[in-house]
Amino acid sequence: MNGLMKRVAAVAALALAGGAALAQEFPTRPVELMVAFPAGGGTDVGARILAAIAEKSLGQPIVVVNRGGAGGQVGWTDMSRRKPDGYFIGFINLPATNTVILDPERKAIFGADAFVPIINQVLDPGVIWVRADSPYKSLKDLVDAAKKAPNTIRTATTGILSDDHLAILMLEEAAPGAIFRIVHLEGGAAQMKEVLGGNIDVAFDNVGGIVPRVRSGEVRALVVMDNERSKFLPDVPTTKELGYPTVISNSTRGIAGPKGIPAPVVAKLAAVLKKAMEDPDHIAKMETAGLAVKVMVGAEYERYYRETHEKAKKYVEWARTRPHK
Amino acid sequence: VDALAHLAAGFAAALSPAYVAYAFVGCVLGTLIGVLPGLGPSAGTAILIPLTFQLDPTGAIIMLAAIYYGAMYGGTITSVLINVPGEAASVVTCIDGHEMAKQGRGGTALGIAAIGSFVGGLVATAGLALIAAPLAGFALKFGPPEFFALMVLGLCLVSGLAGRSLAAALLMTVLGLAISMIGIDPVRGAPRFAFGVADLYDGLGIVPVVMGLFGIAEILITAEQPAREIIRTRFAHLLPSRDEWRRSWGAIWRGTGIGFGLGLVPGIGAIVPTFMAYIAEKRLSKTPEAFGRGAIEGVAAPETANNAYANAAMVPFLTLGIPSSPTIAVLMGAFIVHGLTPGPFLFQERPDLVWTVIASFFVGNAILLVLNLPLVGLWAKILHVPFSYLAVGIALFCVLGAYSLQQSVFDVWVMIGAGVVGYGLRKLGLPLAPLVLGLILGPAIEKSLRTSLEMSGGDYGIFVARPLCLALLVAAAAVLAGAALKLAPRQLRAA
Repeated sequence: MNGLMKRVAAVAALALAGGAALAQEFPTRPVELMVAFPAGGGTDVGARILAAIAEKSLGQPIVVVNRGGAGGQVGWTDMSRRKPDGYFIGFINLPATNTVILDPERKAIFGADAFVPIINQVLDPGVIWVRADSPYKSLKDLVDAAKKAPNTIRTATTGILSDDHLAILMLEEAAPGAIFRIVHLEGGAAQMKEVLGGNIDVAFDNVGGIVPRVRSGEVRALVVMDNERSKFLPDVPTTKELGYPTVISNSTRGIAGPKGIPAPVVAKLAAVLKKAMEDPDHIAKMETAGLAVKVMVGAEYERYYRETHEKAKKYVEWARTRPHK
Repeated sequence: VDALAHLAAGFAAALSPAYVAYAFVGCVLGTLIGVLPGLGPSAGTAILIPLTFQLDPTGAIIMLAAIYYGAMYGGTITSVLINVPGEAASVVTCIDGHEMAKQGRGGTALGIAAIGSFVGGLVATAGLALIAAPLAGFALKFGPPEFFALMVLGLCLVSGLAGRSLAAALLMTVLGLAISMIGIDPVRGAPRFAFGVADLYDGLGIVPVVMGLFGIAEILITAEQPAREIIRTRFAHLLPSRDEWRRSWGAIWRGTGIGFGLGLVPGIGAIVPTFMAYIAEKRLSKTPEAFGRGAIEGVAAPETANNAYANAAMVPFLTLGIPSSPTIAVLMGAFIVHGLTPGPFLFQERPDLVWTVIASFFVGNAILLVLNLPLVGLWAKILHVPFSYLAVGIALFCVLGAYSLQQSVFDVWVMIGAGVVGYGLRKLGLPLAPLVLGLILGPAIEKSLRTSLEMSGGDYGIFVARPLCLALLVAAAAVLAGAALKLAPRQLRAA
């Protein structure tokens, strides 16, 4: 080993040791956990349950801060500009975070690389539902009707380029000839009102939002857009079972940080958060709130983030060029 | 029966010590705002919104609502004692109230005002409890096109009735709608009028804007005005004599009816019911010549109407989401900040909150009676605080409040900017109510318009094809046409 190599190795070793020391010290003050939606929403509920459990093993308080607005864009813009020291981390909601980045109209100032995915907390599968007295008894009824009279069935999303919007496009792709008249509503509560009021014929949403109404018999879930049945709606078939294996849609909520957080700090956060998420208390509280915990950490979550981004790219482009707006 | 059960549950919650305490604090602050001549109810409510951030939504709304009707009560004191209305709705009270004070009967004037306000507030709240739920249930059937038409009607009523000049009112409405469009497009997500400034992506905050437009602007206006002479009244005789009772009783009931009826119509404003009640009493009186010379009916009727109006105005606000006065528009901003959207949906989603708040109106009216009858002397003393000290304190409070919204210095600048604009608009005699209403209803109007067009596949015929929607739009057009032709009664336009 020559002198130069020695010196390089020494520097590298120092850097590693320094990093390890940093991780050992981290955190020396409270960690902020940003939620890009207002207090009281689904992401916020999950964040507060997690923060209360995780801060015990982190040794410092975890403060949930709500930076709501513009469908999450305000909060994510904020996070992308923060110092990458691990003291400011926040929730990313896939694919909403991806579509904000991908839609040129949004003029987002951050790209997919602005964030380091750390760990996923929740996976909420998509669901297609109608009013209990709707003529559509099954996914087949709905698809047949959308083929027979294209662009007439008033179909609600929970917002433009939300996972629900992309799911409609996936179904149109998998069932050529079926075209839905897409109406963008603001969130699940508005969907519920308009479907029950007869102004909307069918809604695309997530399982977490409708379980109580399905149980009370007010609405009927036609299909869950997942590979396996939801434990909250065990009687509802999946798209995979019904022959639409490409129509898989969900919304996930996980924690990321601004790009450039030292790897040891990321590892420390991931370990602490993973332990908290696997805590039976966390899982029980999340399930009471209708949220299915799905832990994905490190390379697995990183890969999921990239894949979601690639998948969303195609549908965002299609949403922009689709003739029926 | 359902409403009664809800109301009972609401009372159980509203009578919990914490909520009674919030209502009490709100009543005290509201009365204070009413008493301080520099601050009207809209300014006061706007300024105090940040105080409620730490409370749960129910507690926050209870406190803000108490501030609102507390201010309606408190305005009377300055009308009687210094002949300057603490808020616009007490203008009429000056006529006979101040005359009574000069005759040494100031205490009785304030006493009958408090009693009349109590009766008016109580009856109107009972009316609210009775009709709110059925009305909200009916409005639940509204789809996006009907909501669009309803909000257009609300804007037209406010523009058509609130301003002296229809053109000026419409100008202000459009300005409010335009400001509401700053930020991310609610449907497609594109930033508008943001010029790449990240702080503008979420639009201008409603609360900093109303704090500036009403609070800061009002301080500036008041600071320009000369100090006033205060009549020192003994408060020995607060309760009216037997004869005064006899003369007031009818006035109180008629005032209640007039206030409640007009409170249901958005856009009338708080002054109109008080004028109507006063004129009605004068016409009905056997001794009309006594009016203007200290007639007790001339105090009882408008003060009752004022409070009945204030409580009745909660009906279109809570059930339809249409704020009928600037103060209620400010209150709506507070609802939105606390994550609540007034309207039929609120009755369905948060019946606990709605009914607790309605029950708290009863509690608040009782608290105000207690605050006003025995303690009126204390309030009168506050009149002696020089406004110059007060103005600085209030301005400081505004800055802290705006910052505390979301720890953003940008919000403070928005508030100061809105204050300067509000001052200028008031100097020019342009009405602020349509501006604020346009600002607050703007996003909902745009959203319902665009959702309706998505439902119809872009066909504007959807607004004509639905009978209820068409009827509402025709009514809106009729209001504007009537205002343009000056068909409305003079008193209605005088506001």
